[in-house]
Amino acid sequence: MDPYLVSVLSNTGVISFVALSAYLLLLTGEVSFGQQAFFAIGAYAAGIATAMWGWPLALALVWSAAAGAGCAALIGIPTLRLHGVYFAIATLAFAEMVRILFELLRYRVEIDGQLVGPDGTDGFRDIRYIFDNNIEEFEFLVLIYAVLAIVLLGFMLLERSRLGVMFRMIGGDATLASLQGIAVARYKVLAAGIAGGLAAVGGGLYAHLTTYVEPRIFDVMLGVHTLAYGLIGGLGTALGPLLGVAIDIGLLESVRIFAGYRMIIFGGLVALLLIVRPRGLLDERAVHKIGQLLRRATRGTASMHDSTGAEGRTKGGLQ
Amino acid sequence: MKAMVRALAVMIALAVWHPGAAHAQVRAKAEVTCVSAGEKLHYDCIFTLANARSGEPISGVTLSVGADMPSMPGMHNAPPVKATEQPAKGVYTARLVLEMHGDWAVRLDLSGAVRDRVIAVLRFEDDQVTSIKP
Amino acid sequence: MIDLVQNTIDGIMIGSSYGLLALGFTVIFGVMRRLNLSYGPTIMVGAYFGTVLYLDYGAGLLAVAAAVVVGSVIAGIYVERLCFAPMKAGAGIASMVSSFAIWMQLEQAAILVLPRHTYPFPAIGGGAPIELGPFFARTDHLIMLASSLALAAAVQLLLYRTRYGLGLRAVIANPVAANLVGVNVKRSIMLAFAGASAIGGVAGFLVLAVDQQVTPMFGMWATLKGLIAMIIGGLGSIPGAVLGGLLLGIVEIHSQWQFGPQVRDLFAYFVLFTFLVARPGGLFGRVPEDGLSNRA
Repeated sequence: MDPYLVSVLSNTGVISFVALSAYLLLLTGEVSFGQQAFFAIGAYAAGIATAMWGWPLALALVWSAAAGAGCAALIGIPTLRLHGVYFAIATLAFAEMVRILFELLRYRVEIDGQLVGPDGTDGFRDIRYIFDNNIEEFEFLVLIYAVLAIVLLGFMLLERSRLGVMFRMIGGDATLASLQGIAVARYKVLAAGIAGGLAAVGGGLYAHLTTYVEPRIFDVMLGVHTLAYGLIGGLGTALGPLLGVAIDIGLLESVRIFAGYRMIIFGGLVALLLIVRPRGLLDERAVHKIGQLLRRATRGTASMHDSTGAEGRTKGGLQ
Repeated sequence: MKAMVRALAVMIALAVWHPGAAHAQVRAKAEVTCVSAGEKLHYDCIFTLANARSGEPISGVTLSVGADMPSMPGMHNAPPVKATEQPAKGVYTARLVLEMHGDWAVRLDLSGAVRDRVIAVLRFEDDQVTSIKP
Repeated sequence: MIDLVQNTIDGIMIGSSYGLLALGFTVIFGVMRRLNLSYGPTIMVGAYFGTVLYLDYGAGLLAVAAAVVVGSVIAGIYVERLCFAPMKAGAGIASMVSSFAIWMQLEQAAILVLPRHTYPFPAIGGGAPIELGPFFARTDHLIMLASSLALAAAVQLLLYRTRYGLGLRAVIANPVAANLVGVNVKRSIMLAFAGASAIGGVAGFLVLAVDQQVTPMFGMWATLKGLIAMIIGGLGSIPGAVLGGLLLGIVEIHSQWQFGPQVRDLFAYFVLFTFLVARPGGLFGRVPEDGLSNRA
C-alpha cells in the first residue's frame, strides 16, 4: 500500500477516537471543547510507558485508557452541576490547563546513553516502539483499525442496550430523566469516564504512530475539530463522527490546491450545517429512515403490504 | 484478508511479547538546513544523516521527507517527497512545498538499509529557516 | 512592597483592556443569552484592516483606529447573520459551536491575507513613562485605562439613560414582551451586536497599539481573555465585566512575576474553572434559572 495512503488512513483512524469521545458526551447532552486533554494524557501516558518504562504496547494502551478515564471521571464530578455554555467553557479551561501542565512537565530517563522523555515545550520525542520492534506502518494501521472496530462494536451494543437509551434520555432532558428515576449524575460521570478513556486510547496510538508529541498539538483547535466531526457527521449513530472525520480528511486531501482554504470551507460547512441540520448529516431521523429502507430491502415484496400499514401508523407518530 | 489477519496476529504477538526498546537497532540523527527556493513557500533542504551513536554517515537508504504543523496535526501537512541522495556520504536533498509559514515538524522517514524516523522542528519564514529543536 | 504595588498597577493597566473585551462579550451575552466565540477573531479582522492601511498606505493613528473598529463591526455582523440570527430560540449551543467554527474560518482567512508571524502596529503616545512617586506608568497604558473606563461608563449611560438602552434592556428581560410593546427586537439585537463589535474594535486597537505588533494568535487571545474576565465579573453585568478584567489583569501580572508566563496562563484558566464550578454567576451576574442547557 502506498505509504502516504497508509499514513493518511492511520491519522484518520486515530482522530476518530477523539471524535467518538466528543460524540459520547454529546449524546448525554453536553458539549465538550476539552476532549483533547485526554488525547494528550493518553499520548503521554502510553509514550512514557513504552519509551521509558519498557512496557509492551498493549499494556501501555490499557494504562493510557485507564489514566484518561480516571482523569475524566475526576473532572466530571465538579462539573456535574454545569450545563450548556458553562460546561463547555469549563472543559475548555480544563483542557488548556492540562496542555500548560504538559508544557511544564519534564521527566527524563537515561536509556542507552540518551535522555528520553517529555521535555516541556520541546515535547516528547523518540517514542520509538514501532521501530524498535520492527512493526511496519501497515501493521500498525491494522492495529489502529482493529481497536477502532472493537470500539465501534461497543457503540453498536451500547445503542441497543439500556445504558445507551439512558444516555440518550439524559441527553434529551436531564430533569425528565431524573424524574424517571435515572441516577443522572452517576451516568454522566460514567459517560465522561468512557469518553476520556476513548480519547486516551486514541492518544496512545497517536503517540506511537508519530513517535513525537508536543503540547502544542493538543490545543483548542483540535478539541473544536473533534467536536465538529460529530456535529457534521451526525449524532444518530457512532458512524456519524467517523463520517465527519472522513469529510474533513477527504476535503484536506482531495482539494490540495485549496489547501490553504480548507479551514475556511470546513468552518463555513459547520456553520451552515448547524443552521439546517443541527444534529448532523446522520442524525436520528436519517438513521431511522436508512434503517427502514434497509429493513424493507431485506424483507422483499411480500411484506410490502405490512410496511405500508406500519408506515401509515409511523407517519402519524413522527412529526 | 489473510495478510491482514496475519499482520494483526504478528502485531498483537509483538505487542505482548516484545516490550520496550531493542538495543541492536540503528538510530539515526539528522541535520537539516533549508533555504528559500525562490518561489514562495518552496524550500530547498539538505539533510545529513548519521548514526546517532557512532556518528558515521548513513548512505544508501531511501529517505522520504514530509512535514506536519505541530499546532494542527493532520490538518496541515506537506505530502512526503523522496529525497535525492547526493555524492557526499549521508547527504540527501529535497524540495519542500509548504502550505503556510510557521513552525513545521519535518519528518524524515528512512527505509531500506536502516529503518528509522527523525523529526526536526523548524520555523519557515519568507526568507529564512531557523531550527527550533535540533 | 514596591514590586507588589507596581505589579498591581501594571495589572490594572492590562486588566482594563481585558475589561473592554469582556464588555463587548457581555453585551452580546446579555442581549442574546449566547456566547459568541468568534468575538476575538472579528476584532482581529478589524486589526488586520488597520494593519494593511498602516503598512500599505501609511495611514495615521486615527485612521487605523477607525479601520479597526469598522472592520470589527463588519466581521461582527457577518458572524451575527451566520451564527446567531438563523438559529431558533432554543439553539444557544448550536450558535456557540457555529461561532467557534467561524472563528476557525476567520483565523485562516486572516493568515491567508497576512501570512507572517507578526506585523508592526502603530503606537500611541510614547516617550518616557510617567513617574508617580516610586512607581511607573506608561503613557499608552494610562490612555488605555482611561479609554476603558470612559467607554464602560458610556455603555452604562447608553443602557440606562437613553431610549435605545431602555429598549435593549426590555429585550434582555423579555424579548416577547418587548416585541409586544413595540420594540424592534431584531434591530435592537443587531445594533447591540454591532456596538459590541465596535467596543471590541476599540479594545483591540488599544491593546495592539500598546503591544505595537499584531499576530494571528490575537483572535484566540482576545476571546479567551474577554471570556475569563466576563465569567469572573458575571455574565451580563457591565461593571462586572470591567471589574473582572481588572482582577484578571492583577492576578496575571502577579503570577507572571512570581512564576513565569506559563503559570500565569495556568492561573488564569484555573481562576476561570474555579469560578465556573463554584460561582458561575461571577461576582455580579445572576445565573439564569435554567443554566444554559440545550433547552435555554
